[in-house]
Amino acid sequence: MQGMIPEDVAKEMEGDPRLSALLADLQEALRSAEDMDSLERVRVAFLGRKGKITSLLQGIRELPAEERRRLGRLGNALKGHLEEELGRRRERLLVEELEESLHRERIDITLPGRHVNFGTRHLLSRIIEEIEDIFVGMGYRVVEGPEVELDYYNFEALNTPDWHPSKSLQDTFYVEVPGGDYEDVLLRTHTSPVQVRVMESTPPPLYVIAPGKAYRHDVPDATHSPMFHQVEGLAVDEGISLGDLKGTLEVFARKMFGEDRRVRFRPHFFPFTEPSAEVDVSCNICGGGGCRVCKGTGWLEILGAGMVDPNVFSYVGYDAEKYSGFAFGMGVERIALLKYGVPDIRFFFDNDLRLLRQY
Amino acid sequence: MRVSLQWLAEYVDLELDAWELAELLTASGTAVESVEKVAGEWRGVVVGRVLEASPHPSADRLTLCKVDVGGEVRDIVCGAPNVAAGILAPVALPGARLPDGTVIGEASIRGVTSQGMLLSEKELGVSEEAEGIMILEEGAREGMDLGEALAAEDTVLVLEITPNRPDCLCMLGVAREVAALTGKELRRPSFSIAETGDPAEGEVRVEILDGDLCSRYVARLIDGVSIGPSPWWMRKRLRGAGVRPINNVVDVTNYVMLELGQPLHAFDYHLLEGGHIIVRRASPTDALTTLDGVQRGLSPDDLLICDSSGPVALAGVMGGENTEVSPGTVKVLLESAHFDPASIMRTSRRHDIASEASYRFERGVDPGGCRYAADRAAFLMQELAGGAVRPGAVDAVAREIEPLRLRMRVGRSGRLIGIPLSQHEAVGILRSLGMGAVAVSEDEVEVEVPTFRPDLEREIDLVEEVARLYGYERVPSTLPRTASNVGQLTFAQRMRRELARVLVGAGLHEAITVSFIPSSWLDVLDRERECLPSEVLRLRNPLSEEASIMRPSLLPGLLEALRFNLNRRIMDVHLFELGRVFLPREGEKLPGEPLRLACAITGRWVPKQWDRQPEEADFFTLKGIWELLACSLHVEGWSLRRATFPFLHPPRSCALMLNGEAAGYMGMVHPRVAQHLEIPAQTAVMEVDVEPLLQAVRAVPEYREIPRFPAVQMDLAVVVGDEVDAGAVEAVIREAGGELLREVRLFDLYRGEQLMQGEKSLAYNLVFYALDRTLRDEEAQDIWREIVRSLGERLGARLR
Repeated sequence: MQGMIPEDVAKEMEGDPRLSALLADLQEALRSAEDMDSLERVRVAFLGRKGKITSLLQGIRELPAEERRRLGRLGNALKGHLEEELGRRRERLLVEELEESLHRERIDITLPGRHVNFGTRHLLSRIIEEIEDIFVGMGYRVVEGPEVELDYYNFEALNTPDWHPSKSLQDTFYVEVPGGDYEDVLLRTHTSPVQVRVMESTPPPLYVIAPGKAYRHDVPDATHSPMFHQVEGLAVDEGISLGDLKGTLEVFARKMFGEDRRVRFRPHFFPFTEPSAEVDVSCNICGGGGCRVCKGTGWLEILGAGMVDPNVFSYVGYDAEKYSGFAFGMGVERIALLKYGVPDIRFFFDNDLRLLRQY
Repeated sequence: MRVSLQWLAEYVDLELDAWELAELLTASGTAVESVEKVAGEWRGVVVGRVLEASPHPSADRLTLCKVDVGGEVRDIVCGAPNVAAGILAPVALPGARLPDGTVIGEASIRGVTSQGMLLSEKELGVSEEAEGIMILEEGAREGMDLGEALAAEDTVLVLEITPNRPDCLCMLGVAREVAALTGKELRRPSFSIAETGDPAEGEVRVEILDGDLCSRYVARLIDGVSIGPSPWWMRKRLRGAGVRPINNVVDVTNYVMLELGQPLHAFDYHLLEGGHIIVRRASPTDALTTLDGVQRGLSPDDLLICDSSGPVALAGVMGGENTEVSPGTVKVLLESAHFDPASIMRTSRRHDIASEASYRFERGVDPGGCRYAADRAAFLMQELAGGAVRPGAVDAVAREIEPLRLRMRVGRSGRLIGIPLSQHEAVGILRSLGMGAVAVSEDEVEVEVPTFRPDLEREIDLVEEVARLYGYERVPSTLPRTASNVGQLTFAQRMRRELARVLVGAGLHEAITVSFIPSSWLDVLDRERECLPSEVLRLRNPLSEEASIMRPSLLPGLLEALRFNLNRRIMDVHLFELGRVFLPREGEKLPGEPLRLACAITGRWVPKQWDRQPEEADFFTLKGIWELLACSLHVEGWSLRRATFPFLHPPRSCALMLNGEAAGYMGMVHPRVAQHLEIPAQTAVMEVDVEPLLQAVRAVPEYREIPRFPAVQMDLAVVVGDEVDAGAVEAVIREAGGELLREVRLFDLYRGEQLMQGEKSLAYNLVFYALDRTLRDEEAQDIWREIVRSLGERLGARLR
């Protein structure tokens, strides 16, 4: 009760025998009122219709006016203060109860989250999309061509002579055509035939890349697979130079492998480009110092490229005096091996979920 | 191509170290695969001169030698038959270490102390020769370190020579590149032959009958040779280049081939019938046993070297056994000829012989170099085999191959490369490569291409030469002016990516399987070919029967991937693949290659969790994924129609219809298939053609009005016969519900005690609303009653 009633009022009450008894009762009753039920009992006992304070206030009617006023004032003050006190205590109890119930609702946040299925794109698809996006960003379109091809598109129109060793049954898969006896139907050995098909059907200028599967008659081992993926690129326009090829592939290599990579162009030979180049990026494993992955050279070969040979233009009816162009081709698996450290090309086609889930 | 730098230095001054040279060659198109240091693997071996050789007192086959090892004479016991006073030989002093790890000490042999050991080539690890001790050439000093005496320390560059550069398949060719790159002089070997005796012409006759395959044939005659081993330096160079030494005459032919690039052949003249060489195509009656002892069946396409009686060599590929140089050979006919590359390639392939000679002829040998190579070899036979070279050569020319003349436009060439190229610069580069180059106008250069460069036939070939010698690294990097170009994926390409993304989001992993499948799979899946095509694409040369057919369906590959995982105890497998299948087309050479999407799921779709039971993947899991896909991509006009497929569980399968056309299937695999493939029967699969799927995609979905007035929701539970499909019930509900019925959702399916056998209860949540007003409950109830009536009338349904 301390603090519930102002000190001067309390002193005044103590002077009155009825009030001091009432006050003592009230103090006693409140002392043990620690829950909602006992607070309610206190309320009924003092403020109820037959409660002690109610009765006191009802009884003052018979008293003399001055006494009535004094008791009335003190009684009402007591009533008011008690109501306030009860409210305060109820409030406190509610807060305590809520806290207690919240505490009971504690969860173990270290339990695993509810399972949600997740899937993954195949690493090769992701790399192909990445390559597509880089070239689309440079103004290229993405085109496709058939995987079962004619010798004409795969070899002849790409300036590959008839006696070329890559045409042999040991290097190229040939296909039996039901109901026909053809010897020139094969599984394309690179994505380059798409170059010829696109040029046949589209006049220059032309900026395209062609991702897709290709096939070679290789017994599978860690670095060979009879089926693999390539991305072919072709740009034909007026005034295209070897410098443009360098610039384009430098942009690509840095976007694909990292801005800090160095890019190297070495002269090479391909039947359908001239001049031709092989393109290396500095080795990311050793930083260019030489290691097992780059065979001590500090360089990783990532693609072959060159200026489109005028003979190829003549096959598709492009004017080699007016237009020039460059072409390039890269192995997607090789990029995956180098960039993601997958040690064996066969892993890409096993579809082992333990690998698929990693990327 | 293995290039010894010691050897190379005979033709060009090398001022760079091996690594700098390697870098220079690589940057100009001759890729250096590796740089190998070569050195003798011995220690403590010196040159010694045998001063005296006397028999061992108590052993017949041993010799006691006094050997001068440089200011000191040692007693050494030797067991070799060829030891003799006066020779120089390698001596292992006590403490010396041999390549096999043996450490030599002083030893007592049959009572005589040997203060060292005379060594054979085998003991030094330089050859397999173990017959006698190694005899060193005069010129070495006693006591000299053997490594120094043999010039054993060398560096070998392993070069990758591209098929267009046959001229680099020899030391002189590589030296020419190095000279051009470093600005040094090229030194061709110079020698002079002391010709003696009667002219070769009188004893040799050469006839070229098939001039299209052999443009020139030079023969020289060397008499009085004595066959024996070649000197150490030549054997070392041959071995360093990967060629096995045989004897001095054969070694000279190989040596000159390595030096000048011209393959040569030596015949034993006495075994050549009539001294007559005839170059002609094989006839059906011809037979030849080649040097490797194999009797060859000949084709009319094979070019032969014959004598008067028949074939003596497979031209440019391998000699015949019948005229082989042997230890008894005295007189040699040396062949230096030029053969047609394509013909040599066909013959080499037909007979499966890849010789050093055929390798070079296939790529193209200098037609103008026959005589020089023949002279060089004759000279070396004179020097190393003691032969007398007969005056003159018999030089048969069937076709004169003249140097080609080309014009190069300097301005255009520079633009193509992307550099400012001056005429002076272009001429300088071309000349450095051994070409004749003369400015004929302000812009043009006339170029005479030497015959050793058959790859240079057009202006563009010269542009390449200029570019690679100028240095690709010096060409400034630029980008094409693509301003008029807009790069973009097509709608179909974007949708394909979207398709994959949705499936990944739904919990499937993308697989890529190989396009070839075993033919047995087709029988497992569809023996009667009801569904898969009866005609499939077969490979003519598959790697194996297991990979002999181009897949007509993605299912085999995907089920194989499933099995691969199951075999590794990964039991919950959820895969999809986007790839082409191959379907032969009537009257067309090339097959159709439609892109397909396939999914296969097995095991648990949701695993057991700490507060949940697992959920098995089944037909409805897959159907849910399909519905998600159709919904995300806005695929319109699709439905499932009951249908059977030979590889699917008959009543648990359906055809996937797109705009009324069958475009694929969905279902559980047939138990027979599952058993055969050893995969769980609880495997759900689907496959659909992507093109019709994308055609059914609404690219721009239509706006549908969002209701502004509250909806009325009501439940409906009806009992129908078990044979009535939920789809049929829903169709009647929608029809009877009319346009105010907006949503129908099945939320319960019950069979059991509270119903009769053969009955099921379906409970639906129905949503009604109007777009222009608040729908009254009574209106909805009226519709609801109409639905109930209709269901009763048409499906015999009753309210539950």
